[in-house]
Amino acid sequence: MSSNLLLPEETSSQTLRRRIMAIAGTVILVATYITLITTQPMGIVEGLGQGVALGTFAAYLVAAILLLLAVLSDLPVSTLTLIPVALVLNIILGQFVGSVMIPLYIDSIGTVIVGFLAGRRAGAATGVLSTLVWSLFAPTVLPFAAGAALVGFLAGTAARFGALRRIYLAPIAGVIAGVLVGVVSSPVATFVYGGTSGVGTGALVAAFSSMGDSLLSAVTKQALISDPGDKAVVFLVAAILVYALPKRLSGSFAFVRRYSVLGKRVSK
Amino acid sequence: MSRTISLHPFTILAVAVAVITVTTAASQWWLSCTVIGLCLLISGWAGDLKKLAVLSGAMLLPTFLSLLLIHGLISRDPAPAIAQWGPMRITVHGLEVALSLGLRTAVLVVVGLLCGLLIDKHQLVAAIDLSPVPPQLGYLLAATLFLLPQMGEKQHQIGEAQQLRKVGIGRGIIGWFQRVRLRAVPLVLASMQDAQDRAVHLSARGFPASGPRTRLRTVPDSSVQRGIRWAALVCAVLGPVLILAITLVGSQ
Amino acid sequence: MDRKLSEQSTAVLGMDLHSFTYLDNHAAVLHDIQLDVHPGSLTVIAGHSGSGKSTIGAILAGLLPRHGMDELIGSIKVDETQIEFSSSSTPRIDVAQWAKHVGLLPQDSGHYLSGIRGTVAEELAFCLENAGMPREQMLQRVNDLAQKLYLEHLLERHPQQLSGGQERLVALASLAMSEPDVLVLDEPLAGLDKRATQVVSAMIDLLRANGTALVVLVDSVGIWAEDADDLWRLNQGTLHRVSAAELLQRTAPSLHHRPVAIDAQILLELDTVQLSYPGSSGPAVRNVNLQLRAGECLGLAGANGSGKTTVLKAIAGLLKPNAGTLTLSGESGLLLQNSSDQLFERTVLREVSFGIPKKSSGRDRVPEVLAQLGLESYAQTHPYELPASARRLVALATVLIHEPQILLLDEPTEALDEAGEAVLQEVIASVLDRGGAVALSTHDETFMNRVTRRVIQIGQS
Repeated sequence: MSSNLLLPEETSSQTLRRRIMAIAGTVILVATYITLITTQPMGIVEGLGQGVALGTFAAYLVAAILLLLAVLSDLPVSTLTLIPVALVLNIILGQFVGSVMIPLYIDSIGTVIVGFLAGRRAGAATGVLSTLVWSLFAPTVLPFAAGAALVGFLAGTAARFGALRRIYLAPIAGVIAGVLVGVVSSPVATFVYGGTSGVGTGALVAAFSSMGDSLLSAVTKQALISDPGDKAVVFLVAAILVYALPKRLSGSFAFVRRYSVLGKRVSK
Repeated sequence: MSRTISLHPFTILAVAVAVITVTTAASQWWLSCTVIGLCLLISGWAGDLKKLAVLSGAMLLPTFLSLLLIHGLISRDPAPAIAQWGPMRITVHGLEVALSLGLRTAVLVVVGLLCGLLIDKHQLVAAIDLSPVPPQLGYLLAATLFLLPQMGEKQHQIGEAQQLRKVGIGRGIIGWFQRVRLRAVPLVLASMQDAQDRAVHLSARGFPASGPRTRLRTVPDSSVQRGIRWAALVCAVLGPVLILAITLVGSQ
Repeated sequence: MDRKLSEQSTAVLGMDLHSFTYLDNHAAVLHDIQLDVHPGSLTVIAGHSGSGKSTIGAILAGLLPRHGMDELIGSIKVDETQIEFSSSSTPRIDVAQWAKHVGLLPQDSGHYLSGIRGTVAEELAFCLENAGMPREQMLQRVNDLAQKLYLEHLLERHPQQLSGGQERLVALASLAMSEPDVLVLDEPLAGLDKRATQVVSAMIDLLRANGTALVVLVDSVGIWAEDADDLWRLNQGTLHRVSAAELLQRTAPSLHHRPVAIDAQILLELDTVQLSYPGSSGPAVRNVNLQLRAGECLGLAGANGSGKTTVLKAIAGLLKPNAGTLTLSGESGLLLQNSSDQLFERTVLREVSFGIPKKSSGRDRVPEVLAQLGLESYAQTHPYELPASARRLVALATVLIHEPQILLLDEPTEALDEAGEAVLQEVIASVLDRGGAVALSTHDETFMNRVTRRVIQIGQS
């Protein structure tokens, strides 16, 4: 039997390099976050403020790209073709849904769908890529790549532990994801942009700030109000979309079968 | 008429990064304004002035308003206020902070958007493919850029088809939900099925490549451009460091 | 096994399939199939939509079974290599290597294109690029192939702006790029107009003349019958050898046209109507005049982009005319060209009854409509798990459930197999019988001649 028509069984030759990149990305992210939280650099425009802004921007972006490179070559082709669809869904559904419900951003439905169907690595990759592509149209989103990666990662984790087996579990998982994402993303909003980019969210930050909060805690509180709600809606909508898929399609994802993501819904 | 620059996409990106980091680090209003003005001039030359102005305006206006709210109107600066009304407290310093942060974002937005307008998407994909990053990256970028208009069109068609079904749509939250479902579910179903169908043929055509890969499309490059790229990247890193060091020394 | 190999030694591709079962299905889709493909031969496999012919194609091309999902028991021989599949072991196939021997043109040829290249030349070179061929050599190969297949005029075109026929040509050429021994073509001529059919079949002849063996999967044997070396019918999951005469069915009977009474009610009248899309500079169609009486079936003809669809959309109320008058008496219902994209419910039954109040007379009609379209057995199936033809009929059912007086059909035969076309013809007849009217656009001339009494040209001043 000539073997050139068959693939060798999977090898683990390059996994070490990828694992190092994943660890490096996570370490950079965590280290930057902890540094910012503990030192709380004063003054966002004077003195070292500009340096903090650039440093935060760069660290969050580099961490996200490392995480992306770590998972990219592992993804099967069926996931690769799914990701662009998810990126476009992020944009199109975001516009459609967002045009009705103003206070939320709803820009991660596609990312969450990928997380649900293809697992947390694919979800994280989708989050980063979504940000990179979107930055061609809106450059300010770049440093939020790490937050977007976290959304996809958490969606995959939630699906793995059964958040899709009952419809009411999806928004609950969304709230938890929203809290984490809000906390991780606030330093970017604070130290890079000095606040938020929306008028509604800006008003919230101003209100907290006038009550005596530091800028970081005001932005974080604002994020803790907006993000969980936003992610709850996103997780719920994404779950409903996944339920609507034919069994033949959803069942073709190894992740869905392995962790019985949809529970009994599949056998219907 | 639009003109395009025949520079290597990475050259444009590297210069843009250098300009953004140096301008941000310097944080001088005149420098930021000059950079923004230059960008507008370049876009005027390329025939994209209106597009750039509208896009960046749409993004910057809410940002400026938000920053004004946070820093300008509710300043916690000890300096005497120019105006005070209830919790609102306006100080010169607060307004300066808001303006300075606004300009910082403005430079990023305008330079970034100009890059997006100047770079030919096909050339960018080819350049990424020819660089040593994993082959998946170029595919994902290209596929997304191609899919965006296609799925927009499909979304429009689905809207028409659903309109024809004469489905009574309720009001309020249930009606809204129903509308989202009618539009979103067919779009997701059709596009995900499509993605699934394409995947097997992509792998049949040898994607992703396991070994080295080539491109039929050429991306013009030159040693001068390579030099510029390296210089720009060095500037992007060392520029801010130098500027910040000088500021620190100056302030002590 | 040695004896078998020597028997098949002349075949470039051999399949000895005991059974094939999709993931999560209990019943085998295919069973007991032996097929040998010899160099330069033409094998034709006929079967209706959903018979499993695309599954055979995908197995021959190494795309099925998916590793760890589907189950194939049997063996496939490609290029002197025999690969055994059993229920306990599914080898992981290197599809890229397999594609160098057997290429598959899918039913929707656009799926074969990468969708990420800016010109046809780059699309043709895609597999060479992935193999890392030096650019000069690649350019040479692309130009040689384009010259051989008369494609030079398309090389600089954008792959997504090609017509249906051109897209198929480009997909075929991309397949031919890796010079496979066997090409499996799934419905290579479906949905093409007369000219495109000629061009595409010319290229297929050319490929065969160059020594490529062809396996053609079709719904109706039609023009393939004469040339075929091997003719099979796929029925109940297995292949039966047949003769050309058996497969060349008599043509479907024409619609029995009852004369339309001269005083029949005018249901629809367009008088010097001009239509344009919002945001576009010029009108899409101008000066359209037509009358449609009860009991009449009218055909709209015209080249691609002449505005047939636009006129149908205007009648259905999606577009308001910006000049002229459009009068309509009675409800209209339009089946759009890509109507199966609008489906969103989890079962056919829910899809068809969507938006119809419970306990209304409409609800009672749901089973009736499903029966009329032969969809009863699919009531509990997800629309996306149906064969393409049945899915199109589901979309038609969502239109018919509202009992439109004026039934509008945009390219209704697209995706329909022969049985589906027969059902469609009955539907048209029943609408006319109950005093309704039908207007349709189609590039399928035989169908047009069969069902319409009167054809008007759109887009010709």
